[in-house]
Amino acid sequence: MTQTRTNILSRLKMQQRDTAMPPMWQTQQGFDDLAEQFVAALTAVHGEPHLTPNLETAAQKLGEILTELGAKRVVCNDEVPLSDLNLAERWPAIQWHIVGQSTGDLRDFSATADAGLSSGAAAIAETGTLVIRSGPGKSRVATLFPPVHIALLPTNCLTTDLFTFTASRTGDLPANMTFVSGPSKTADIEQTMAIGVHGPKRFIVILYRET
Amino acid sequence: MTATVSEFRERATVAIADVRLQTALEGATGRFAASREAALAELPWADELRDHFKAMRAATLANLAAHLETFERNALAAGAQVHWAQDGAEACAIVTEIARRRGVTLAAKSKSMATEEIHLNAALAEAGVRPVETDLGEWIIQLAKEPPSHIIAPAIHKTKEQVAELFERESGRPQSADDIPALTAEARRMLREQFLAAGMGISGGNVMVAETGSVVLVTNEGNGRMVTTAPPVHVAVIGIEKIAPAWDDAAVWLSLLARSATGQPMSIYTTVVTGPRREADPDGPEEVHVVLLDNGRSHLLGSKYEEVLQCIRCGACLNVCPVYREAGGHAYGSPYSGPIGAVISPLLFGLDKYAALPHASSLCGACKDVCPARIDLPRMLLELRADLVEQGLAPTKEGAMEKAAAFALRYDKLWRVVTGLGRVGQRPLLKNGKLQVPDQFNPAGERQLPSLAKKSFHDLWRDGEV
Repeated sequence: MTQTRTNILSRLKMQQRDTAMPPMWQTQQGFDDLAEQFVAALTAVHGEPHLTPNLETAAQKLGEILTELGAKRVVCNDEVPLSDLNLAERWPAIQWHIVGQSTGDLRDFSATADAGLSSGAAAIAETGTLVIRSGPGKSRVATLFPPVHIALLPTNCLTTDLFTFTASRTGDLPANMTFVSGPSKTADIEQTMAIGVHGPKRFIVILYRET
Repeated sequence: MTATVSEFRERATVAIADVRLQTALEGATGRFAASREAALAELPWADELRDHFKAMRAATLANLAAHLETFERNALAAGAQVHWAQDGAEACAIVTEIARRRGVTLAAKSKSMATEEIHLNAALAEAGVRPVETDLGEWIIQLAKEPPSHIIAPAIHKTKEQVAELFERESGRPQSADDIPALTAEARRMLREQFLAAGMGISGGNVMVAETGSVVLVTNEGNGRMVTTAPPVHVAVIGIEKIAPAWDDAAVWLSLLARSATGQPMSIYTTVVTGPRREADPDGPEEVHVVLLDNGRSHLLGSKYEEVLQCIRCGACLNVCPVYREAGGHAYGSPYSGPIGAVISPLLFGLDKYAALPHASSLCGACKDVCPARIDLPRMLLELRADLVEQGLAPTKEGAMEKAAAFALRYDKLWRVVTGLGRVGQRPLLKNGKLQVPDQFNPAGERQLPSLAKKSFHDLWRDGEV
């Protein structure tokens, strides 16, 4: 094992050259309105973006969607702004599992939940991408197992593209960071697109302008 | 698997005669190529971005050891375990040993060319672990017991009827070939059980990022998220060349990868794994292992083939290759097919075993044109052809003919005598200006060779007729 490591590295070191990396790529992309670009890009890949004026209207939108889904069991990450919405009081008919707070098995609940709710660490306008991070109160399975993933986040989380995102990145990474750019899909059977293979079949992002 | 000249010809002939396969290949590669072009056209600076990427990949490889050490340090700091594997056997032993220690009997796999390369599934099965491929295409070919026929779309050659039949056998329930969404839903149901039951998730890696010790996985289906989330152990097997020093470099990589592969601006899921679950995380694997696979790569560094290590396995070169589009992936006898496969299969697995592949190209250059890293595959195909001759691997008949031709061409008079004799000698074989050579002697295969002209170009020129 150690010997293998030494062998490989010494072979590589024999070929080591002083070649400078090119200067960092500066984004050439620019959008007049990041939120509108995000909506257009996510719509194009069968995602379902909603742009609302403030958190309260975003919450109303969320209520409409949950009603439309007929959601009875919903798993929700424990993070702002969701934790400020008093979900259980607003929608008492729904059985909620709040990550880190509710009793019962998160994994089992998520595997049978009708929807999973999260916020997001960032959103990328160019590609309609949501960035989610693992951490305390932030479950990976909550946004992966249920057939529907709904994310709610403010427009000030928007960034232009992958380059502006990585340029503004600071600090350590969490154990898991995932970029989500639409509902799960495949074209592996005769190149015919089918939605919802392993991940959520519907990917809904509610953006609100007020921070 | 190997691809000698006769094996390649035999397999390609079968593929070319298969009408359904030809339709599937043409449709899929055509769509991929058109989508790629459209996606890059959306970026007016795509050419500069590719130039930048090429420079970045070259500079990274020039200092590969340092980047790998940085990666290792940061991955360890994040709690991951890093293993080094000289070859496929070592890599398989590392993975099966982890499985043994954890008492794993079922492993869920997301699509990975590296694990195809080392035949990990066979090693797992031997060690008593059942590997289940979870990429839909990869699962289909696992059920069919076939190797992948395209880097991005492994089951490109399968029809929906064949898929329905395979699913019927697996599920024990009737399946409708005409309902692709229903087939997909069936796969979701069956594979979900496997994800939840698996003791280990196995993936490849699209790129490692040295500055944070992260492994990045790109999928559209979400199986990459599943295998890194649901099972208690995650093992990623990655070639040592797939590394970006910093996140700014990874951003360039990722913005070219999906566009070049499927024409998407970004794949649906890009998963970044930096170590196992943290103490306060509600879920995630308890153990994360990264297996750094050499398997011949380090020997290419500093050689005339170093450039091939810049490859990011997007598959764009396959979709535009006139040989791949006719012969299909299985003709190459390697998990890596198409132009990139024609170069790396002989380099990684032996030129003697893959002697046909350097010739499986018309050298049209389309592969180089579409490569996100602008890898000069035609140049390396030519280098490999030269190696075949130098290593005595070229057919002796071919060598003798080339030598005879070189000799005759060297002396004008001799050449005139030879061609003059040829003009007379060909008479019995002439038909409508073509040579009717019996098939077994025809060096051009099924095609008819043109006859020698009545008057050579040389003579026409001398007599002022051209």
